[in-house]
Amino acid sequence: MNDSSRMATPRDQQQNCSSEENRFAAIRAVASFQLSRLMTRPRLAMGLAGAIFPAAVMFAVTRTAPIDRNMTVVMIYALIPEALCVLGLLVTMCPVVADELERGTWIHIAVRPGGRQSLLLGTFAAAVLWTGTVAFTALILTLLVAQPTQPLGLVVMFTILIGLSCIGRAALFALPAVILPKRALIASVGVALIVEYFAGLLPAVVNQITVSLRLRSLLVEWMEWRRELPIEMTLFVDDYSAPVQIIAVCILVFVLLATAGFILNHRQFPPSVEN
Amino acid sequence: MLSLQHVTKLYGTVIGVNDVSAELDQGAHGLLGPNGAGKTTLLGLITGQLRPTIGSVRVFGEAPFGNRRILARIGYCPAADITERNATPQEWVTYLMRLSGFDTAEAPRRAARALEEVGLGEACVRPLSTLSKGMRQRAKLAGAFAHEPDLLVLDEPFDGLDPIARHDLVNLVRTWAQTRSLLVASHLLHEVEALRADLAVILGGRLVANGSASEIRELVDALPTTITFKTPSVNNLAQIVCAAGAVETLHIPDVNTVVVGTRQVSHLTAAVAKAVHEGLVVREVIAEDRTLEGIFSRLVKLHRGVEQ
Repeated sequence: MNDSSRMATPRDQQQNCSSEENRFAAIRAVASFQLSRLMTRPRLAMGLAGAIFPAAVMFAVTRTAPIDRNMTVVMIYALIPEALCVLGLLVTMCPVVADELERGTWIHIAVRPGGRQSLLLGTFAAAVLWTGTVAFTALILTLLVAQPTQPLGLVVMFTILIGLSCIGRAALFALPAVILPKRALIASVGVALIVEYFAGLLPAVVNQITVSLRLRSLLVEWMEWRRELPIEMTLFVDDYSAPVQIIAVCILVFVLLATAGFILNHRQFPPSVEN
Repeated sequence: MLSLQHVTKLYGTVIGVNDVSAELDQGAHGLLGPNGAGKTTLLGLITGQLRPTIGSVRVFGEAPFGNRRILARIGYCPAADITERNATPQEWVTYLMRLSGFDTAEAPRRAARALEEVGLGEACVRPLSTLSKGMRQRAKLAGAFAHEPDLLVLDEPFDGLDPIARHDLVNLVRTWAQTRSLLVASHLLHEVEALRADLAVILGGRLVANGSASEIRELVDALPTTITFKTPSVNNLAQIVCAAGAVETLHIPDVNTVVVGTRQVSHLTAAVAKAVHEGLVVREVIAEDRTLEGIFSRLVKLHRGVEQ
């Protein structure tokens, strides 16, 4: 430690990489660290339960009475991109700051260059990967149980919906997580209920900023249900094309993450909170 | 290296740091103060975790809050324990190095080298949760300097260490301070003295003294020392100490006690010793506390204007 000449100056090495490369490396580091935290027995058991749950519900329903393809799609949509993804992200995304404060690791991250943003984006990536994997497994199991016609098309469609649901909801839950880290779970449940499930169903401009509207609209578009929808139901979906809906989700994700990143960069926790 | 200009940090209505101004050059510096004095808040301001409510903090000429360039030059070892359950010290320090911008090959190398230097040995592959506090403390220290910062900031770094580990790490940190800058916060004077660091004493969020260890002692030594005598002959003793001519204050709180304030302790004690030799009964002599707590206490009084 005393002989600084025995190795290249660390800042030289740090600066040899471009700033963007450094950032990306730090985000990857956080993501893999967060995923390793999720690889505990309780978390794996929770993930397995989440993957089996929709298939179990589908099994119970199909045993009671046979259901057609459309009803199967509606059930899968409600169970996986809506319910399972939201629950999974509540568990994985909400503790982004609270966990670090609780474990005494926040200070170590906050004093690293770009540590705060890397924490947010790395946790976002880990949450999306973890929840997406659980949801995709649930999708395959549920389709195996339901055995609908043209399953490959449904796999592709639901994979995209799961992906959009994960990135959209993870970005949405990032906001309460950085604003109210100690009450993030409660705040995120409130956000999910009020924004996604209440405002998202309002036939007003406010529903344009919700992920649920985009997902519903994509489902209706790809299943070609628009013409069959009763007139009152058309109020709950958007008329724009699928690419527009996907771009809208991406813009929403960008705005939410940028806002959360800005807030997190300016957050200050007194030592009493950290300890 | 470090410039604090009228720095105040408020947490709502609670004052963390109150109007602190100081200029610290490159080298080793100790920040002394009892628990709750504002040391950690001051370190938070210096390491860019907190922004001052009033005033300015400059590290290497720039404000550290949100400044990637400056944060890359600072290493920080906080007082708070790591309660990360599953990670090993090797994984944890590697993670920190990757957050500092090192690639996947360099980060573990640096982590391993730093962990070796703090003497963690084989324990660096055991989960942090299974290690003793002293070992976790070593892991924290390794994480703070593995990226070789220009300024190493340590908050109670030797807390929880056994004497041998303390000795080893004091040597390690002292060696570090020979070529780079060091700022150590502690409530133990001997820890900071062992680092041969300049001292800044913080009390109630205020910087009340700043200088070398000998300068701080001189500052305290310049104040009158209080000596309490327990004797059945308070009047005789009072006459003797007054006659010795070394008394600044004299107080008789009860029939068996004389409290004397003096700047010439040896002169006064010689006079009392002579009187005892001649037959005066003195049952107890209580000199003022010269430990750090005593010095703190005196500095607080001085700071509040209780003592002149």
